[in-house]
Amino acid sequence: MQSNRPMVIKRLPEQLNQRSARSFWQEMRPILQSDRPQIVFDLSEVKRLDAAGVEMLLQCVVEVVKQDGDLKLAAVSPAAAVILEMTRSDRLFEIYESVSDARRSFSHYVPASARSLPVSAPVVAAESEDKPEQAA
Amino acid sequence: MDVRAIVLVAPRPDGAERLGDMPIALLDVLGRSVLQRVVDRMRGFAISAITVLGDVEATALRVLPQALEDDLRWVRVPGADLWWAAQQVFANYAQSGAEFVVVTRVGPYSEIDYDALLQSHLEGNSRITAVSDAGGQSLDTFVVSAARRDDADFLLQHQLRQSRVPCLPYRFTGYGNRLATAADLRQLAVDSFDGCARIVPAGEQIRPGIWAGAGARIQRGARILAPAFIGARVQIGAAAVITRGSVLEHHVRVNCGTVVEDSTLLPYTSVGAGLDVAHAVVGFRRFTSLPRRTEIEIFDSKLVGYVLPARLRALGCAVSLFARLPSKLTRGWGRNGAAPELSPVPPASSEALSKSGSLPVATGRD
Repeated sequence: MQSNRPMVIKRLPEQLNQRSARSFWQEMRPILQSDRPQIVFDLSEVKRLDAAGVEMLLQCVVEVVKQDGDLKLAAVSPAAAVILEMTRSDRLFEIYESVSDARRSFSHYVPASARSLPVSAPVVAAESEDKPEQAA
Repeated sequence: MDVRAIVLVAPRPDGAERLGDMPIALLDVLGRSVLQRVVDRMRGFAISAITVLGDVEATALRVLPQALEDDLRWVRVPGADLWWAAQQVFANYAQSGAEFVVVTRVGPYSEIDYDALLQSHLEGNSRITAVSDAGGQSLDTFVVSAARRDDADFLLQHQLRQSRVPCLPYRFTGYGNRLATAADLRQLAVDSFDGCARIVPAGEQIRPGIWAGAGARIQRGARILAPAFIGARVQIGAAAVITRGSVLEHHVRVNCGTVVEDSTLLPYTSVGAGLDVAHAVVGFRRFTSLPRRTEIEIFDSKLVGYVLPARLRALGCAVSLFARLPSKLTRGWGRNGAAPELSPVPPASSEALSKSGSLPVATGRD
C-alpha cells in the first residue's frame, strides 16, 4: 500500500521545555493543520524533556488525528524514552527504532522483528536537520 | 579485649559509589542509612568505640536524618585530609589502650562476623588481616593490631590499597554488596525483602510485608502491595499504587494516581501526579532507569521534585513573608487601612436569573 501524501520528518531540539515547546508548536502548526499529514518526529537529539514537552507532543497528536493524519516517533533517545514511559504517554505513540523504519511504516506494516533493516524501496523523502521537509 | 573501629565514608574517586553528590553509603535502605547499619552491626559485636570520618559535601549532609549525626561520633574532614585524620584517630586509639582496630571503608556493604574475623586475626598471629569476598576482591575492611602503628599509617596513606607487610587473607562468604551504582542500592533493598540480607526495615509492620515509619500518611484509596516500605513522614496521595517491593524513604511524596513499581524513591523526593515510576531509583532530581541503565536529571517538579527539609521550608516561608510584607503594608496605607467591604446582593428573582443565565456574585466595593 503506497501513500503519495507528503511526509514531514522533523528533528526535535535538544531541550524540549516550555519555551522551546511553544516555539516548536508555532513552527509545526501549519503542518499539523494540513490535510491528512504524515509526520515523523526524530527524538534522537532530545536530552531534556519535561512535562510541557510531553504536553506539546500530545497536542500534536490531537491535531494530527483531527486532520485524519498520523504522527510517529523515531530514534527516541534514552532520556526522552524514560520521560515518555514515566508519563505513560509512550503507549499513545507508534515508536520506531529509526527514522527509516518510521518512514516505511506509513506505506508498509513493519513488524517488530523486521525493524531497523535496510530500506528496500527507494525513499524520496530526505531527513532534515531543522526545517521540515516534504516528500512526494 | 579492647576492639575499636574507624569507619571511612570515602567513595571511590572514579565517581562510583555516588548518586549525584551523595555517597551511596549515606543513603537510606529501608529507613536507615547503610552507614548506620554498618555501625549498628559493629556495636552488636561489642566494638567499644567507633569513629566515622567522612569526606562529605555540605549539600549532601543537608538531607541526612538528624539521627545519623546524633548517633555517631562523626568527624567531617575534606578529602585531602581524610586519610591523615584516620591516622590520627588510629594513634589516639593505640595510646588509649586499644588492642585491635577495625578499619573499614563504606563503600561496600558486607555483613561481616567481626568475632570470626578477630578470631582469625588472633590465630594467624598477623599484623594486618584483610577481608576479601568469595572472588578474592578486597572489601576494604582490615583488622590491624594497635601496636603496629607504622603498618597502619602505611595502609592509610595508601588509601587501603597497599600494605607494608603481607596481610593475612580472610575470605568472607556471607552477604555483601559493592554499592557501586544505583542498581546495587536497589538490589540491597530487594535482598532485604527476600531475606538474603539481614537488614530489618526501620518501621512498624502495619500489614504482612508492609512496613511504615512514624508519621507516614497514606490517603484513602491508595493501594500498597507487599512487600513495601513506607518511610517516616511519607505522604501517599489518593489512588496511588505502590507495588513489587518498592521502597519510599523518609519525607517522600507520591502524588495522586502515580504508580511506583519495583522502585526506590530516595529521601525528600516528590513524584508528580499520574505518573508511572517503574524499575527505577529516583532522588535528588535524578531518575535512574535500571533496565535502560540510564540516569537523567529532571528539572520539572511536575515530574520529579525535591521536598525541602523542614528547616529550609521554614526559612523559605520567613523570607517570602518578609518580601511580601512591605507591599501589603503599602497597599493597606493607600486605602487608609480600611478593609474592602462586601455589599450584600439582594436575592435575585427567578425572572432575573433566567434572563441573565448566571447566579449573582457578591462584589467588593472600593
